[in-house]
Amino acid sequence: MNKWSQLLSLTGLVAVSTLASAQETVKIGVIEPLTGSVAYNGLASVNGAKLAVEQRNAAGGVLGRKVELVIEDGQCRPANSVNAAEKLVQRDKVVALQGAFCSSATAAVMPVAEKYKVPFVTGVSSKADLTEKGMQYFFRSAETDRLMSKTFSKILADKLQLKTVAYIGVNDDWGRGGVEDFSKDLEALGVKTVMKEYFDHGATDFYTLLTKLRASKADGVFVAAETQDGSILVKQFKEFGIKTKIFGVGSWATSDFIGLTGDASEGIYAAVPYASSLANDRNKAFVEQYSKAYKEKPGKYGAAGYNAMNIMLDAVARAGKAEPEAIRDALRKTDYAAPNGRYRFTDKGEGYGFDVVLVQISQREPHVVAQSATEKP
Amino acid sequence: MELLPQYLANGLVTGSFYALSALGLTLILGLMRVVNFAHGELYMLGGVMGWWATTRLGLDFFSGLVLVAVVMGAFGWLVDRFLIERIRNQGEEPGILLTIGLSIFLANTALLAVGTAPLKVEAPISAGPLFLGTVVLTKLRVFAVVVCALLIVAAWLVIHKTRLGRAMRATFQDPMAAQLVGVRTANVYAATFAMGTVIASMAGMLLGSIYSAQVAVGGLVSMKAFVVVILGGMGSFAGAIAGGLLLGVVEALWGGYVATGWVDIVGFALVILTLVFRPYGLFSKRAERA
Repeated sequence: MNKWSQLLSLTGLVAVSTLASAQETVKIGVIEPLTGSVAYNGLASVNGAKLAVEQRNAAGGVLGRKVELVIEDGQCRPANSVNAAEKLVQRDKVVALQGAFCSSATAAVMPVAEKYKVPFVTGVSSKADLTEKGMQYFFRSAETDRLMSKTFSKILADKLQLKTVAYIGVNDDWGRGGVEDFSKDLEALGVKTVMKEYFDHGATDFYTLLTKLRASKADGVFVAAETQDGSILVKQFKEFGIKTKIFGVGSWATSDFIGLTGDASEGIYAAVPYASSLANDRNKAFVEQYSKAYKEKPGKYGAAGYNAMNIMLDAVARAGKAEPEAIRDALRKTDYAAPNGRYRFTDKGEGYGFDVVLVQISQREPHVVAQSATEKP
Repeated sequence: MELLPQYLANGLVTGSFYALSALGLTLILGLMRVVNFAHGELYMLGGVMGWWATTRLGLDFFSGLVLVAVVMGAFGWLVDRFLIERIRNQGEEPGILLTIGLSIFLANTALLAVGTAPLKVEAPISAGPLFLGTVVLTKLRVFAVVVCALLIVAAWLVIHKTRLGRAMRATFQDPMAAQLVGVRTANVYAATFAMGTVIASMAGMLLGSIYSAQVAVGGLVSMKAFVVVILGGMGSFAGAIAGGLLLGVVEALWGGYVATGWVDIVGFALVILTLVFRPYGLFSKRAERA
């Protein structure tokens, strides 16, 4: 499967890059899951990155050269992602890396980036300790679970007036981390935890879980899940006749999610770092261009891929040369105006300054309920 | 304790889905001695085609199901005549390699054709809740269980009550003798594989209407189907049904009373225990073929 998808993505790339390759290009490596249960979101991130590159190339590229993406399928698995990173650095000679999506895969790629001294930006991986490992070449332009949890717990407790909450998460480090963080912060605000359960990636039947949830009589249920698992879960919530308030983290405010869940999406709250309905000019332009290119509105991951790639390309441009160390130093001075706020980095490479939003889905559109900028951690 | 009826209902529903998903696998394994690792991908193709038939062609669910059955039956026939034919009577390894190759080919072709997004198969009836006392079911699920039962009975009738079924059983008892009395064994093999494919793909479409059809689902489906087949014994109809229901109920109870996060551990623990204590499956009459 791996070989095949690599071959496929390579042939796609060759087609895209033949035009640009007349002149030497600035190569940037992207590792995302293109197969497996989060492939769908991985692809959205790649689409965002591609859009950023297309815009940049249309405006003359960076350092007077065209930018070329070399995309690899890391499958969200540590081993595959490391292989992809080694290949990108050794064979393709990329000057920088973006990706790996799942925190566990990103954590595995970080030492590789460090070893070859290649700047590495992730727009997605949110596990808190990634930036605590003393890595010099790693940057994160994503909200951590901690940051999200801190910002949102207050909004949730105030706005939704919850007394008891049940927690459901996908059974991996992200899902478990999200459940832990939110339950801790909400408990600190006096909201009682009545249930904590996990399910595996790719699970299809949630009735047992829902039986437990109904028995717990919670006011609200927190769910950490991505599009595929989350949409099936939400549909079954409604089938099961559960009327509890649902609030989710993951890619919940996207048009795909809403399309898949249909009417069952009505009234759901989603804590997201990005919503296509954010009202500002930069976002309007971004949504318009993204919709034109991919026939759908950008979601969390489309925006994440777009922002991470723009941050990287800005840094290359500011560095003035395609050399890893210069790019890294430039990355540290990032002040990037995104569709959703201004991104800056701490000394540890932790991104902050961007907005996070609480949206409610009504009539198949996400509406912003509350918005607040993340503070410097 | 008041949750027990709900857990049992959940378990029996998923259990009958497991039984149906495993039926095609146990047929092909028991009758043809081919370990079909592409089983999950055949299931996936059923779901993807079901999506295509109901949303793109605009057919209703049942016409779509018939279309899927016909197309996938022809596909299964061709796979047997052009691929499995070549490795017949060469032991088990070539068959395993062939079907693994086929599964990779099918999964990636589907990935290229329809992409990674989950696909919605239009359901024949609404998914609103249905209350039986304290137990919640949905009309759609009850309907799916009924269709499962009908498909299982139909497959049983074909094998035990028709001329083709007799020819199948004769061929797999002794191909040489079957040929001597005039059975066209090549056609029988192809028909068996086609039948397994049809059942797998119909299961894929039916369950796709309840959950959603996904290109990446094949591996997981194969895994559960193997668990059911090992529990029930190869080629055993009653075994597939009992194995499926057992797995469904045990998973539901484990999820309900222990933790939903480790549900997959249950199936494999059952398999290990079965292989240790009853290696021919819980319900198998010993394999009779030499």
